[in-house]
Amino acid sequence: MEKTIDFLKYRFIALCLSVALMVTFGVIAAFKGGLNYGIDFVGGYKVIVKFEDKSVNEGVIRQALAEFNPVVQQIGESDKNEYMISTKLASASESVAGSTTSVKFDMLKSKLVEKFSNISIESEESVGPAIGDYLRKSAVKLAIMAVVMMTLYLAFRFEFKYSVGAMAALIHDVILSVAFCGAAGIEIDIPVIAALLTLYGYSVNDTIVVFDRIRETNELKGKQIFSEVINKAVTQTLTRTMITAFTTMFAVLSLFFLGGEVLHNFATVLLFGLVIGTYSSIFIASPVVMWWEKWRTK
Amino acid sequence: MSRGMIYKLFFIVFLIVFSSLLILPTVGTKKMEIKFSATSTAEDIEFVKKRFSTGGYELSLSEQSLIVSGRNITDAIMNEVRIYKGVADAKLLKHWVETTFLAKKINLGLDLQGGMHLVLQANFEGIQKKIGRELTEKDKNEIAQQALELLRNRIDKFGVSEPSIRPRGNEAIEIQLPGVKDPSGVKKAIGTTGSLEYRLVDDKYTAMAASWMGQNYKEKNLPENYDELKLVIDEISKGISLPENLETLFFYKRDKDTGAIIPDYPIVLEKQVSLLGTDIQEATVDRDEYGQVVVVFKTTADGAVKFAEATSEKNHGRKLAIILDNKVRNAPNIKETIGSGSGNISGGFTYEEALTLARIIKEGALPVDLKIIEERTVGPTLGQDSIEAGIKAFALGIVIIMIFMIAYYKVAGLIADIGLILNMIFMLATLSLLGFTLTLPGIAGFLLTMGMAVDANVIIYERIKEEIKKGKSVRMAIVAGFDRAFWTIFDSNLTTLLAAFILFQFGTGPIKGFAVTLFIGILASMFVALYVTRFTYEIISLNKKIKKLHI
Repeated sequence: MEKTIDFLKYRFIALCLSVALMVTFGVIAAFKGGLNYGIDFVGGYKVIVKFEDKSVNEGVIRQALAEFNPVVQQIGESDKNEYMISTKLASASESVAGSTTSVKFDMLKSKLVEKFSNISIESEESVGPAIGDYLRKSAVKLAIMAVVMMTLYLAFRFEFKYSVGAMAALIHDVILSVAFCGAAGIEIDIPVIAALLTLYGYSVNDTIVVFDRIRETNELKGKQIFSEVINKAVTQTLTRTMITAFTTMFAVLSLFFLGGEVLHNFATVLLFGLVIGTYSSIFIASPVVMWWEKWRTK
Repeated sequence: MSRGMIYKLFFIVFLIVFSSLLILPTVGTKKMEIKFSATSTAEDIEFVKKRFSTGGYELSLSEQSLIVSGRNITDAIMNEVRIYKGVADAKLLKHWVETTFLAKKINLGLDLQGGMHLVLQANFEGIQKKIGRELTEKDKNEIAQQALELLRNRIDKFGVSEPSIRPRGNEAIEIQLPGVKDPSGVKKAIGTTGSLEYRLVDDKYTAMAASWMGQNYKEKNLPENYDELKLVIDEISKGISLPENLETLFFYKRDKDTGAIIPDYPIVLEKQVSLLGTDIQEATVDRDEYGQVVVVFKTTADGAVKFAEATSEKNHGRKLAIILDNKVRNAPNIKETIGSGSGNISGGFTYEEALTLARIIKEGALPVDLKIIEERTVGPTLGQDSIEAGIKAFALGIVIIMIFMIAYYKVAGLIADIGLILNMIFMLATLSLLGFTLTLPGIAGFLLTMGMAVDANVIIYERIKEEIKKGKSVRMAIVAGFDRAFWTIFDSNLTTLLAAFILFQFGTGPIKGFAVTLFIGILASMFVALYVTRFTYEIISLNKKIKKLHI
């Protein structure tokens, strides 16, 4: 029989580490001015432009479009001379005053054409504030629904204490990943939301495989105490946890390096999420189940 | 091998063959037919040929049409070619699998093939002011439906073939236009409210127009493009020497398969307008005393006088055409004089048809103006770059996962890899059956499920290893491994399925695609691991002497 690793021993260190990370990310994010919502959520305009003129750089573009206060960023290989220019609606009132958002963006576009000759617009997006509002509302609604449904399912298939553990790990992942997005300045757009939701699914999936083993071991436990059962189950599933993390990581890494500009943020969030998702199912989910069990039997 | 196993084997082989067939239209070569107009010159044809000279296309030219076949043929390319000089029409030819099995090819999303995506919403504030009360959810939904009808009526103005127009949520409308480069024409088509009018039909000349068509118009289908149709109209009018006070228009019907509004037959109308759209105040759907579905309408005070005039004795038996944006959408018979300011239209409608007609009539009473609340345009180059990046990332990811599995699990890894390939085939086949649209996040979701798909195998293999360590024989370990792993895989995947389902609900375009791939991917991987791979191991353990498992 393999040696059982005492994972629970590290529960306080893990807790401290998680809290420390949350605080650090949170502070950096707050310092940077909170979460950076993309135009999908706040409304705005984004255009990818290719300049034939090689002397153009980010500063030049920013200066030419100063009145719109745009974010300018070069994307892709540098010899392609492609830039992403975006401006957001400062406030919802701005769109009311200016009747429609598209007026302002038509102005930006014509300015661009006027100031630079020989450009080609590769893609453009304009999103009104109404859409952003709609998306935000449904995002929150469905996130709550997801948590409730998963909790119910776990309570039904397992016991309630496992629901508590899985949801604690999930909430841990949600806070850390969102704080990470804030700290890393990752723009929250629809693909990033998809990445976040996927990693929550992944994390819960990971946790359940461990819990399933805890349950099974617990039924045959004999004289073992619950903490020993947990350690044994986590150890037994460790190889699986790592291998699955690796294979998924391979997929995400190749997206990260080869997926192109559009998927870059998506892959970054997933990469981070995979690490904390795996970590939380080992070091957060199980201790919470144990704590809950102790608190209940007291 | 027992009889049960032979059946299983047949079932699995059948599934694999059938799935492989279904994905042929997606991964195989596609064909496009380009028809040249009668006035096209040799240069026009040369120009089109040049467009397809690079990129591995094969061309075959017959009299008035050119067949292009190749891998990279999309709706966007079709729409690009349609506006070339001398080209009358271009359409993608259906793969034989598509016609036989009702499968569709997996379309590329606009982010991959280029095009324009718009979300429109009615100007609710304006309407609120006009009717002087707050709009309820139901009102808004009805207004959105009316706007949808108006847009379908103008489908030919978008300059693309088969645009997708559909409601998004209860209040907004989503339009997808593959291959559109110049948004201004589209915006113009959206930017005006509908013009609705009622005019009397001239039966004599309508009959003449019908017989002219029968004799002179040999093409199977009428052109959907308005300019081309106008030429036909002019010819008809000349052919039947139409007097000054009359005009030829086309009657439009709804295509049952696609839901598009398409021209059906010519109809001759008086130029004089009997009633304006604004003369009618309200239109609703109801049932008459015989239980038939009818459209009930109420005119304004002014309208009542005009209506009484239009339906007076001398016009009984004639038809009154309802014309939206120069398209005749209905032409009910006048049976009696309507002086009361309200009446109904019957005609054996289905409930859906009646609703459509009521919405058209309302477009006159309460025109809806639309505003663009979301607009995304992707150029063809960026689309091409994205798909290349996506495919590259996908291929590399798969290869690394496969190598890793073989390195770690040896023969068992190879079996898992075969499972992975089957997984891909099943996934693509299911997506084909659903008529799925592949977007860039969709490719990412696909790759991610591949990464997670091996999870089921990993859980099973680790379990088998444990059972062997406990001292079980190889055969017993395999059975125990699969049995024990079943519920683990079931429970863990079900929660991911829940997440995917919720993503689907939340989804706008690309995210929906991502959610669908995730959902189908998980189902496929469960099936492959728990059924196909298990069967493989059942066959392996038929060998009673097996002592060691490469795992």
